[in-house]
Order: sequence, then structure tokens, then C-alpha cells
Amino acid sequence: MKPMSHLLLIIEDDPQLQMLLSTTLESQHYQVLALRTGQEGLIAARHKKPSLLILDLGLPDIDGQEVISRLRKWSEVPIIVLSARNQESEITQALDNGADDYLTKPFSTVILLSRIKALLRRVAKVPGGAREFFQAGELKIELTRRRVFVGAQEVGLTPIEFNLLSELVRHAGFVVTHRQLLEKVWGASHVEHSHYLRIYMGQLRHKLEADPARPRYLLTEAGVGYRLYEGEN
Amino acid sequence: MQHRPAPNIYLLGDDRGPTLRFTAKLADNHSICQRAEHKYGYLLSGIVIPLLLTLIDWPFREILTSSNILMFYLLGVFFVAIRFGFWPSVLASLTNAAAFAYFFAPPIFSFAITDPENLVGLAVTMVVGTVTSKLAENVRQQARVAEHRERRASSLYQLSKELAEAHLETEIIEIGVRHIHAEFGGQNTFLFPDRNGKLCYPNEPPLDISLHGTDLGVARWVFNNGQIAGNGTDNFASEAVVYIPLNGSTGTIGVLALYPVDLLRIFLLEQRQLLDTYVNQIVHTLERANSAEQAKEATLKMQAETLRNSLLSSISHDLRNPLATIIGAACTLEMDEERLDEGSRRKLVAVISEESQRMSDLTIKILEMARLEAGEVVLNRQWYAPEEIIGSALRRLDKKIASRQVNIHMADHLALIHIDAVLLQQVMVNLLDNADKYSPAGLPIDISVQTTPLGLSIAVADRGPGIPEGLQNKIFDKFFRVNAESAQSGVGLGLPICRAIVEAHGGEIQATNRSGGGTMVQLHLPILEYPPTVDPEEKELMQ
Repeated sequence: MKPMSHLLLIIEDDPQLQMLLSTTLESQHYQVLALRTGQEGLIAARHKKPSLLILDLGLPDIDGQEVISRLRKWSEVPIIVLSARNQESEITQALDNGADDYLTKPFSTVILLSRIKALLRRVAKVPGGAREFFQAGELKIELTRRRVFVGAQEVGLTPIEFNLLSELVRHAGFVVTHRQLLEKVWGASHVEHSHYLRIYMGQLRHKLEADPARPRYLLTEAGVGYRLYEGEN
Repeated sequence: MQHRPAPNIYLLGDDRGPTLRFTAKLADNHSICQRAEHKYGYLLSGIVIPLLLTLIDWPFREILTSSNILMFYLLGVFFVAIRFGFWPSVLASLTNAAAFAYFFAPPIFSFAITDPENLVGLAVTMVVGTVTSKLAENVRQQARVAEHRERRASSLYQLSKELAEAHLETEIIEIGVRHIHAEFGGQNTFLFPDRNGKLCYPNEPPLDISLHGTDLGVARWVFNNGQIAGNGTDNFASEAVVYIPLNGSTGTIGVLALYPVDLLRIFLLEQRQLLDTYVNQIVHTLERANSAEQAKEATLKMQAETLRNSLLSSISHDLRNPLATIIGAACTLEMDEERLDEGSRRKLVAVISEESQRMSDLTIKILEMARLEAGEVVLNRQWYAPEEIIGSALRRLDKKIASRQVNIHMADHLALIHIDAVLLQQVMVNLLDNADKYSPAGLPIDISVQTTPLGLSIAVADRGPGIPEGLQNKIFDKFFRVNAESAQSGVGLGLPICRAIVEAHGGEIQATNRSGGGTMVQLHLPILEYPPTVDPEEKELMQ
């Protein structure tokens, strides 16, 4: 079997962490290009066409948020953001700017690898068309026919509940921020009305989860957003 | 006729100081015009009341002797004296004399008096009437003075009472501005020096009775010289505003700028003394508040010092051990020249991983506590469903407590609560982590969430050994550990962090021993706002 040869771009100014990331990723047969500054990173992203970017938000030259915004003007390359804990607002901003996922330091390399895999898989899977069908565990969703099943049982959803769920399905496995969900489901005028989201998310959980207080599918990322469980891969 | 309320100015006592002389002319004008207004009304009584008495007496003129009639008139004079003052009563005496002579003393319907007895009676009555009127007038005056003094005392009492209850500088100043406005009738404001010792405009938003447009130059002169200036004084007399220095025990601490509606209400001696008393009261209260503030700061500093010491000793203990292990294991691996077997190498790597995880946890807790202590944390309150907090906390501990039975007792559809979800999730993680750490494997953890009349209550309970009696409050102190030598114990910051977060939400947290064994930590979060409503969606389901 041909080894994976995705090029991963790491933008991280701490040399030890850079070394750790490079070593870990190379051992998984990825090609790795590690850079120290945002400026270098932006140039490399343009010329080397990496498959994925790992970006530390605290860079010596330009702010990580700025790197994301500039990159998103011309590139859809998946971005994983590394951030310190307790900086949910920064994470949220990065995600709203267009980052795809985040990890807080200190992070486990196992989780990093699984996130990278998931993102690369998503890129491979989307040659244009939206997905028709989603399944994770007992949860089955037929998107075009707008039908939802838990096990064999069909679940009736209201239009808003279904829109919310399908927005999560579009990003299955990845975190979607409160703002993104509010904007997509209720429109730009409702981005501050986070209670809408809580109430409908609560309703969805009560309909889809066996135990709403210990959800399997509709996972809360406190302070950031929601993540739909994608199943064991 | 429009009646203005009587002014609050009385000349009290005889001690006319220089300030009073300075405004004496003003005072005279003032009081004359005030008196004149009353005079017409009051003087009328000096005519009306005798005429009334004459009407009443007329039918009894045959029965009553003339001395009886004179007595009646005298009564009338007393009444006028007590009710309306001296001059109306003098007028009443004169009217009486005329009426008596004309209607009662023979010959009737003539002002002539033939009987010498009547003449003497009338003269005596007039003298007695005038003297008693004068006495009554004095009594009246004294009553007015007493009443005014009492009012003044009560306004001072009101001021001191309010000041005694004030603790913040802004409160004290607000009270000062209000009372000075009420008593002296002018817009006013207090000016204090900034950090560089230069007088500046206040930062607080002004009250509607605050004075605007003061002249900082004059105010600074007053501040530096400690002398009164502005309108009605010898310094900067062309100013419209009066600037009064606030003299404290350590020199001038600020300046009161007062726009006088009436100079008399400030510069009459009694008023001036009253104003001084007001200013002194306010200055003393400000000084008291400042020294209380300083004492509090000193205590806080001392507490911070103690905290730093215990933090250092705790950190050195809790971080050194894992560090020693990590460095040791890493060195052994580094030096390894293929002499270690595969099993030993794996063991060393596992030790490094485990110990660094422990260090990471400790560091995160220490940083979190420091952040909370520093007051750096601003609550990012959002509406959250209580079940989401529990759910996300459980997920963060997923691996750790996977083998444990966790029972959740929670009503469906609890109301949303306005909280900082990230911090509250931290509280739940710490509590669940403790419950897991301090109770034997295999025993369940119970979480219960319920709404109370006052808010939301969340309890996490285990079936561990419980907390020794008397230590239930201690466990929320920083770096306190029930069993410090135990290998499982952390740095002693988990519960203090919980308490800091819960208290930042205005709630409280406490630990109790459960009946049947185990510990229960319960937190109460007050509901400060009711959840907003959501436009109802058409409830029909999609088919």
C-alpha cells in the first residue's frame, strides 16, 4: 500500500514543540514542513500547497488570527489551531475566522493525529456534493429526505431542529461555534441570541439521546460550540 | 395673594462677626422686604379683631360694666399679639381705645369720655396690652429661634447619620452634594487632587444638582492656600462660585465649589458655622473612609504574602517530586546503551508520561487559581442548560471515570441559567475528579441538579470516607489537604478554585457528610435574571 504523503505545514515558534510535532507526524509517514513565523507560513502555504496546516495562535510576527483570515481569502486548506487553555474566546474567534478545529496545550498527540486524519478524510470526501446520508452509532440521518432515525425508530423533528442538526452533520466530527450555528439556522440578526441555540439543542438531545445529560452524539464544547460525534473510525 | 414661604434666615444671638458685618446691608434689605409682605396682612388683624369684639359686646352694653368691656378688648389684644406679633397688637390697642370711646364710654357715639374712671381704665388697659404684647412677641421670637435651631440640628443629624452609613468615597461625596444643596440651596461639587496632587474635575458622572463649569484655576489656588475664595469673599470676588477649602487633619484635601443662590444662605454667621460643620463632617468621613481603605489594602497585601509563601512551599513539594522522576527516567533512557530490556524502557516512558500529566494538572490548577485570585477573570455569562454543563464535564473526564457508575438525578427541561459555562464546567470537573479520587473504585457517584426557590442547586456525592468532622470548611482553603501524605492528593487547589468560581457567580458552595457514608459537595447558584423567551416555532413536525 502506498504510504500517505500529505504535506503538513506546522507554524509554531517554540522549537521543542516544533520538533515534537515534526517527529510525531513524520513517524506517521506525513511530509512535514515546520516554520517559525506567520509570514513564512503564509508564503509556504501559497507555494507548497500543503494538505493541512497546524497553526499556533501566538506567533512572534503576526497574530495567528490574522494568518487565518488572510489564508481564508484564497485557500480552503484545513487549519488546526493550537492554543493555551482558558482562551475560549480566542479559539472561538479562530474558528469563526475559518479555522477547522482546535487543540489546547498541553494536548495528546493521539488526539492530534486523529483530528488530522479526520480533516484529511473530509477534504478527500467532498468533491462538490453535500452528503446524502449520515450515520453514527444508532443515529441515522437522511439529509435530502429530511428523515432522522434512532435505531429503527423514526424521530419527528421541527424544521428548526432539523436545520440545526443538518448544520452539525455538515461539519460532523468538527466543532461548530455558537455564532456559526446561530447565523446558519436563524440568520445573521440572531448571532447574539445564544439562548435559542441552548433551547433547541436541549430539545434535540431529548429526542435523539438516550441520556440527555450524558450525550453520545450532540457534544458540548463549553464556551466554544458543539460537535457532532462522527463515530469510531 | 401669592405667599412665598418664609426664608430660613434668622439672626441668632448677638455675636456679629466680620463676615456678618460684611453682609449686614444685604441682610437688612432682605429682612425688610420679607417683613413688609406680612405686615399688611397682619396689621389688618389689628383693626378687624377689635371691630369684631365691638360687635359682640354691643348687645350686652346694658349688662356689662365698662371695665368688663375693657377686659374683653384686652383679651383681643393678647390674641393679636400671640398670633400676629407686636405691631398689629399695638394697632389693636389703638382701635380698641377708639371703639371703646365711641361705642361704650358715655357719651355714646362720640369720642369724648366724661367719666374719669373710664379714662383711667382705658389708659391702664392700653399699657398692660402693650407690655404683654411685647413679652408675647419675645416668646414668639424665641420659639422661632428654637424651632430653627432644632431644624438645623436635625438636618445635621440626618447628614451625620447618612455619612456614618457610607463607606465609599463616591457615596460620601454624593451625600455631601445632596445635603449641601438641600441646606444651602446651591449647585455644588467636590474637587479632589489626582495622583500628581493637582486638583482636577471629578471622574464620576455628575448628579443633576452637581455644579458644572467651575474655574479650576481658582479652585487650585484655594487648594494650595487653604483659604476661601470666590463670590462674597476677599479673594477672586468676581467669581460667581464660592470655593471653600476642605481642611482635614493633614492639610487641605480638596475644595468644595458652591454656586450660591443667595449669598446670605452661606455667609450669615449661623449659616457659615453650619456650612463649616457640614464640611468638617464630610471631610472627617472621607478621611475615615480613606484610612479604612488603606487598612484593607494592608491586610490584603499581608494575605497575599502569606499565600505566596504557602504557594511556594506547596509548589516546591508538588512539582519537585514529579520533576525528579521525569528527569531521572529521561536520563536513564538517554544513557541507555541497549542495556535496558524492552519492558524496563516501556516502564520508564510510562512513568514520564504519567508524571508529566500530573505536573500538567497541577500547573493548570495553579495558573487557574492565580488567574482567579488576580481578579483577572471576567465572567462570560451566557444562557446554558444545566444538563450541558454536567454533560461536558463528564465528557472531559470520560476516560478517567469510564469504569465508574455515575447516577444523574435531574428533572427534564430545567430552565436555562446565566453562567460562565467554561468556569462552571471546571467546577464540575474538579468535583467529579475529587469524588473519583477519594472514593474506592466501584462505588457510584451521584449528581443531582434541582431548582430551588432561590436558584439552581447542584450536588456531587460519593461513597468515600467522608470528611473528618470540623474540616468541612477547611477543605475550601488553598493548599489544605485532609491527608497531605496520601499519594493521591493533589495540590489542594481543586476546591478553592470551585469556591472562587461559584462565589464569582454570587453563589455558595459547601461540603457535608452524607448519611450512609461519603461526601456531598453542594453548590447553589442564584438566579439573577429570568431566561429570555424564544419565539415559538410552529410545533407541527415535519413528515
